[in-house]
Amino acid sequence: MITIIDYGMGNLGSVVNMLRRVEAECEVTGDPARIASASRILLPGVGAFDAAMERIDAAGIRQVLDDKALHQRVPVLGICLGMQLLTRGSEEGKRPGLGWIPADTRRLPGDLGIKIPHMGWNVAERTRQCPLTERLEGEIRFYFVHSYCVQTDDPRDTVLRTRYGVDFAAAVQRDNIMGAQFHPEKSHRFGMQLLRNFAELPC
Amino acid sequence: MPVAVSPNSRGYELPRGTDLTASGRKICARCIYDDSVHGIEFSDDGVCSYCKLIDRLTAQYGTGASQGTATFEELVRQIRESGLGKPYDVAIGVSGGTDSSYMLWLAKEYGLRPLAVHYDNTWNTAIATQNIFKVTSALGIDLHTHVCDNREADDIFRSFMLAGVPEVDGSTDIALAEVMYRAATRFNIGYVFEGHSFIAEGVSPLGKAYIDGAYIADLHRKFGNRPMRTFPNMTFARFLYWTTVCRIQKVRPLWYLPYSKEDARSFLSTNFGWQDYGGHHLENRMTAFHHSYYTPRKFGLDQRNNSLCASVRSGKISRQQALAAYRDPPHLESGLVEYVLKRLGFTATEFENLMSQPPRFYTEYRTYKRRFERCRPLFAVLAKRGLVPMSFYLKYCFPAKAPE
Amino acid sequence: MLRTRVIPALLVRDGCLVKTIRFGRFAYVGDPCNTVRIFNELEVDELLVLDISRDRAVRGPDLRLIADLADECFMPLGYGGGVRSLDDARAIFATGVEKVVVNTAAVARPDLIGEIATVYGSQAVIVSIDVKRGLLGAQTVRTGNGRRRTGLDSVAWAKEAARLGAGEILLTSIEREGTWDGFDLDLVHRVADAVTVPVIAHGGAGSLRDISDAVAKGGASAVALGSMVVFQKRGMGVLVNFPDTLSLKGIFG
Repeated sequence: MITIIDYGMGNLGSVVNMLRRVEAECEVTGDPARIASASRILLPGVGAFDAAMERIDAAGIRQVLDDKALHQRVPVLGICLGMQLLTRGSEEGKRPGLGWIPADTRRLPGDLGIKIPHMGWNVAERTRQCPLTERLEGEIRFYFVHSYCVQTDDPRDTVLRTRYGVDFAAAVQRDNIMGAQFHPEKSHRFGMQLLRNFAELPC
Repeated sequence: MPVAVSPNSRGYELPRGTDLTASGRKICARCIYDDSVHGIEFSDDGVCSYCKLIDRLTAQYGTGASQGTATFEELVRQIRESGLGKPYDVAIGVSGGTDSSYMLWLAKEYGLRPLAVHYDNTWNTAIATQNIFKVTSALGIDLHTHVCDNREADDIFRSFMLAGVPEVDGSTDIALAEVMYRAATRFNIGYVFEGHSFIAEGVSPLGKAYIDGAYIADLHRKFGNRPMRTFPNMTFARFLYWTTVCRIQKVRPLWYLPYSKEDARSFLSTNFGWQDYGGHHLENRMTAFHHSYYTPRKFGLDQRNNSLCASVRSGKISRQQALAAYRDPPHLESGLVEYVLKRLGFTATEFENLMSQPPRFYTEYRTYKRRFERCRPLFAVLAKRGLVPMSFYLKYCFPAKAPE
Repeated sequence: MLRTRVIPALLVRDGCLVKTIRFGRFAYVGDPCNTVRIFNELEVDELLVLDISRDRAVRGPDLRLIADLADECFMPLGYGGGVRSLDDARAIFATGVEKVVVNTAAVARPDLIGEIATVYGSQAVIVSIDVKRGLLGAQTVRTGNGRRRTGLDSVAWAKEAARLGAGEILLTSIEREGTWDGFDLDLVHRVADAVTVPVIAHGGAGSLRDISDAVAKGGASAVALGSMVVFQKRGMGVLVNFPDTLSLKGIFG
């Protein structure tokens, strides 16, 4: 069962739709009590960094999330802004992030003549083997929409790398904490396989 | 018998496979038809009447032997002659499935100029459309399509489900037959190829399922909401018109020529990039729902035995493999039932109610059955002349035992 | 790197999928949900659905239909047809649609473009421009499914739309639409030259060569296909299809 955190940001409908299509059980909740019994957590997000961190605090779920992620160590997957929230902080805002992985969120370079946001399909290169990215075959592609990107301290925490002006982490994994910068729910077979992999992780 | 398991979190039940060995039924020694198959008999050697029927038909038509090939070559000669000076000489109904795709190739091999004809009930899968596209493009064959208005098609499917009868996708078969005749007439084509193979598909007995234009009209009248305007229904009058006035000949090449579905599939995929869709007619979502969910669940009818038996008889798989495949639950495209609910406008509760209501059968509604029986002498003549399929004559023109 | 986008553009009318020729002569094509489902199975990169029902501009978007379509789509979906206001856009985005397409309402009230772009970002707003040549050959903008003349010059309006916040321009040649005769490359080129936002060439595609010409000669950033993806070939029966990846790679290099 995947518990999708509803803190008021992000289009959860599409993610739920894809999880149903890959026959993964999921629930959507913002209730700390329900989150406390989660065996797998998905953190979505669309919008601004600070607004998201504020909402998480306002919803009173920060503590239970920290507990699940850092102490109980259940599998966690952050998607889009949700992946950026896993980092220490973002150049987009002033608030610290969740800090669950040693990484920073930085602005994509606006001075290289490329259009910001990075929007469209792009290729992702597998930098190391990882259960999250298993069975992604051939040229791996995903659909991206973002203006900020994640750079991990430890290169081994980046499991998929994409280039848009700079190389950045398209997906990360450090122990039980995982993230995907792209929209898996808009990346048809690639997104489905990734979510299937997440759903099948032992917990 | 296929039995439903308890509802999953989606609110509807899933069908199971059919375990014949555990069922205690008598199973044919050669294929895997069991004693629940309508009209079946077993001889002393334990072989069923359908195996024997197929042996008889094979001998009669010389299927796969020089006699059959010679008969077919003569038919081809007649077809070519009748098509001189016209843009096409034969019409071939296509679905993206194995048989029809193979027949397109066959027609070209024999120097014919086919027109591919497709009836689109608006429930195609990508595999179906891609297969049609790849094969027609590679062979340079033109395609004529009749698309039914999606709202009408759905209204008819809905009517069949509300009526509680088994033939939820039966309207597609009638529509295809009507569309074939219309296209043949419009393009001045005297011959139609049909992909039926009694060897590869078996001969499905007239049991609980039945379909004709009057039946569709009656269910639509009683349970439908939209006027039938683009759905190509075949009335009795039109049937007679096509067969006796237009005199369009139906030819079944696979009754004469050597054919195995398995070999055809590898041939098609190697040469055209054709893709398998995992089962008879599962390339169309409504047909898939019909065969993989609806009739197994509501009527205990798992018709995968037809093609499994055919594979066993031709030696492609063993009886044990067939029984094992039959035991597995039918394959369902992910989200198919939700899709059906969405398109036909049922809630999960309404759907469950429909599925658990007592089954009803064609005998309770208006059909042409008695008229077909009364006109048997006429259809006997037409069958002999190839104007109606012999299997239609045998199945429809004789009284049938009413389904319980 | 991002490669050139080839986008199926589907037309919906009264809940049915249709195809037109020069914005007239409606041919029935099939079921919208099933067709979107097929494109999903074909793994196209993105999809455009335009509702051209007669009174969309008055009644607004059919949210139930849009939600049904969005449910079938596991790739970005752009929707246009009767988007009158920021509220309409909001409701559409809530169904999971990635981009809204505005046409008639944007010409009537150009500020609409900026209103949506400010909240959802330019990348979520496509301004659709339908163009017909006037008697003297001037390429002028039409609205209301091609029925109303605006007198606006297509290049001027495209520039204005981009300035106001359009993320992309969907440029449709009414004369070429449904004809398989190729894009109006002159039109594409003039607009693509004049704006810095991506231009999606639409109307007239009949072959892979047309697709590559739109990019190489027309300067389009993307190409939308209509007839090519719903018919077996020119003049033949309905058959949903999409050029395969190898062929597309072949023409774009």
